[in-house]
Amino acid sequence: MMKKPTLTTILIVIVGFLTVCPVVMLVVGSFSQGLGTFDGFTTEKYVAAYTDPEFAEIIANTLIFTVGAAVLATVLALFLAYMNNRTNIPFKFLFRIISIIPMMIPHILFSVSWVLLLNPSNGILNRMFMDLFGLRSAPFNIYSLPGMILVEALLDLPIAYLIIAPAMSAFDVSLEESSKVCGASNLRTLMRVTLPVLRPAILASAILVVVRSLASFAVPSVIGMPGRIYVLATHIYQIISTGFAADYGKAAAVGMSALAASITLIYIYRFLTAESGKFVTISSRGFKPAVIDLKGSKYPLFTVVGLICFVLIVLPVIVLFYTSMTPYVMVPSTRALSMMSWKNWVEVLQDPISRLSLKNSLILGLGGATLGIMLSIFVAYVIVKMRTRAAGILESLSFLSFSFPGIVIGVGFMWFFVRTPLYATLWALLIGYVATYLPYGIRPLSSAFVQIHSHLEESSRVCGASPFYTLRRIVIPLLIPGIISGWILMATMFVRELTLSVVLSRPGTEVLAVQILRFAEDGLWGKLSALGIMMIIISSSLVIAASLIGKKLTKIEVVDNA
Amino acid sequence: MEIRINGLERDYYSEGKRIRALNHVNLTIPANQIFTLLGPSGCGKTTLLRCIVGLETPDAGEIAIGDEIVFSKARNIFVPPEKRGLGMVFQTYAIWPHMNVFDNVAYPLQNRKMPRDKIRQKVARVLRFVQLDGFDNRPATKLSGGQQQRVALARALVAEPKVILFDEPLSNLDAKLREETRKELRSFLTELKITAVYVTHDRIEALALSDQIAVMRAGQIIEIGDPKKIYFNSDHQFVADFIGRANLLKGKVTRREGRHAVIDCAIGSIVGLNRREIPPGQEAMLCVRPEFIKIAATDAGGGRNIFRGKLETLVFIGEAYEGEIRIGDTLLTITIEPTADIVAKDELYISFDPDHCFLLPAQASA
Repeated sequence: MMKKPTLTTILIVIVGFLTVCPVVMLVVGSFSQGLGTFDGFTTEKYVAAYTDPEFAEIIANTLIFTVGAAVLATVLALFLAYMNNRTNIPFKFLFRIISIIPMMIPHILFSVSWVLLLNPSNGILNRMFMDLFGLRSAPFNIYSLPGMILVEALLDLPIAYLIIAPAMSAFDVSLEESSKVCGASNLRTLMRVTLPVLRPAILASAILVVVRSLASFAVPSVIGMPGRIYVLATHIYQIISTGFAADYGKAAAVGMSALAASITLIYIYRFLTAESGKFVTISSRGFKPAVIDLKGSKYPLFTVVGLICFVLIVLPVIVLFYTSMTPYVMVPSTRALSMMSWKNWVEVLQDPISRLSLKNSLILGLGGATLGIMLSIFVAYVIVKMRTRAAGILESLSFLSFSFPGIVIGVGFMWFFVRTPLYATLWALLIGYVATYLPYGIRPLSSAFVQIHSHLEESSRVCGASPFYTLRRIVIPLLIPGIISGWILMATMFVRELTLSVVLSRPGTEVLAVQILRFAEDGLWGKLSALGIMMIIISSSLVIAASLIGKKLTKIEVVDNA
Repeated sequence: MEIRINGLERDYYSEGKRIRALNHVNLTIPANQIFTLLGPSGCGKTTLLRCIVGLETPDAGEIAIGDEIVFSKARNIFVPPEKRGLGMVFQTYAIWPHMNVFDNVAYPLQNRKMPRDKIRQKVARVLRFVQLDGFDNRPATKLSGGQQQRVALARALVAEPKVILFDEPLSNLDAKLREETRKELRSFLTELKITAVYVTHDRIEALALSDQIAVMRAGQIIEIGDPKKIYFNSDHQFVADFIGRANLLKGKVTRREGRHAVIDCAIGSIVGLNRREIPPGQEAMLCVRPEFIKIAATDAGGGRNIFRGKLETLVFIGEAYEGEIRIGDTLLTITIEPTADIVAKDELYISFDPDHCFLLPAQASA
């Protein structure tokens, strides 16, 4: 009984350190002269950052990029969710796949695969179109704002879908039915009833995509930078990684505006999702939503859905695998097929830095996810099971990092680590990862805790079990599914982590995504693809292994008791 | 084992307001009886039960189970629930979904590091007792509501606790099953000779199961007594009204006639039992239950407590008619046998036996 308040305090200190420390350091850093020197308050960095003549253009680019991606992703998500929930479109299992692909293909590889397809000089699709129609120049240029928006929107589509689809399926059908009884057509009902009622979910999805694309680094770096289109994230990256003297103070000053925008948007998002509970009514009558018969347009519409799935999942992997086997980027032909070999793979595996990055990412993925999930278990427990004011503070703290753009938080951590022995060690990356991705571990665990009715624990206590015995026999076994899914989520995110690593990774602590970015910058597409496919294999095998272990663990529990 | 509760207090804070869940509760629960805490929702009955079992810490007071003080604010004693050696059946049954029936029931024994074959023996015996033998390996989630309820009971009984506590254990069952389980529970508990504390808001459950009933309201115990006393002769208007349907008529006592007294109320003079010896001249309340009101077509015999009224409504509910009869401005609820040959709007006479209605002290609060 006396232990619980101290547990909460310890957690508040740990989580508070993880989330508040980088922000504080960012603020302090933005007013300091240079990395590691905190003495001497100066506003000079702000002046330098915001009077930069390029800054207006960067802001404009950022606005167009984020809002464009938000609109496109939300429209696509609405289309898919409507098709899945309201129509008799075939092969509905595809929709579930769309919602889990973020775990399958790392963003940087997805961006690279689009560069390989649509870059103006030797993009495979561009070449094919030129050959087909006898064009003189490439019809598409991915190195442009529309290109960035397209790829970012496709990357954020799963997030938008995950917000809109539940709202669509929780929708009280009688609202639509009454509209139809009043004589409105399907389309009119959609425009006048369905969409307005779903407005909070639509807005929430758009805002979340804006936040994600503001934090996005893969698309702006792989697609934007070659086209000299800079957004906030790449602008910060440019300040700290190019030129002779990296200016961390200026980077911090620029980062402050990205951070402020992000936090404001997340605040609005949380307000909206709290509101949406009142707005969307869940029908308790257990009626299945009325299904609209698409009749003749069934298969054309399915083709569109199928195409989105193909573009999202199959195409990137094929392009990468194909590129990894060819000596240079070439249109598929008999000649290309005859030149295919494992040369790139062998070279990558012999390259010491690539091997080091493979090792580091594996260590960070396995170790980081394990530490992260252990912290998440305790945090989720306090948030769900103890509704004290301190638990409320812990909840706000632990979800704070959800709104932090990775690169900005990386700069903040940089200011901190440079003064500690952790600088340029894997520990720096690990702490940064856990801090930034903590909400992804807490989310599945807190929903697992919610499902454990307090009576299940209480009855164990009454049966004579100590709190620890109760934890071991009752709580942990019931939590295993949540622990597994949280672990998978964290491990796969750590293995592919780019935005934070790009700042914190130093010689000796290279990780996979950063190494891939280096290959992209040097145009070594073959090696990049080989390493990328390895990354996908690692992620997928982590998912498979964790689910197998999860199954086995639940079995052991049963055998042990019988 | 006897449970003694002294000056127990428990407050909740909700949106800045203080809610007194338990307001200085004093109570002795006698050993080896089925003792029921009955009251409307929010009256504090579940809080009291959770304080006894140790899942909640009172703000003040003392609880003793047998000779052991398990909670005392003054002496700074708090025995955690796992050390109190009690058994409890939860409203949700709290059957652990990841274990089978055997493990659920064996859990309290596994906890005590008992040898395996002894556990097996005891579990088999208790499962036989609750008529679930052969269910050992069934996953707990593959049981019906009634079976889950019996697993929960078996788990509460297996360690042979001094006291067993029930928190509305039948409220999740459907009506028919609830009736059967109630009878089973009664026979299980009578056979066991164990102290049982039972929380419910269902008056029929309380009447059918209990040796003693304590009626609670707003964090306080209002009245304690055996079922018949509570039903036929409650001290409080609230209790009389809560325990069954009642017609409560307010009036003034005019004279006493031995065990009876005459009370003047809106529909006239009524003779009723006056066990509380309310003196003439004082305000009182007359309670007459619908099932004791008889109807007659004519004013035959000229007996006592006969009134003429008009049948306002009449509803057939299967086992009886339920009607409302208007006498002046007063509406009385009556139940009439289902074969009666009457229709609504009939004018008729009603009568009730002076021995089957009783006087209560009038109270300011309803």
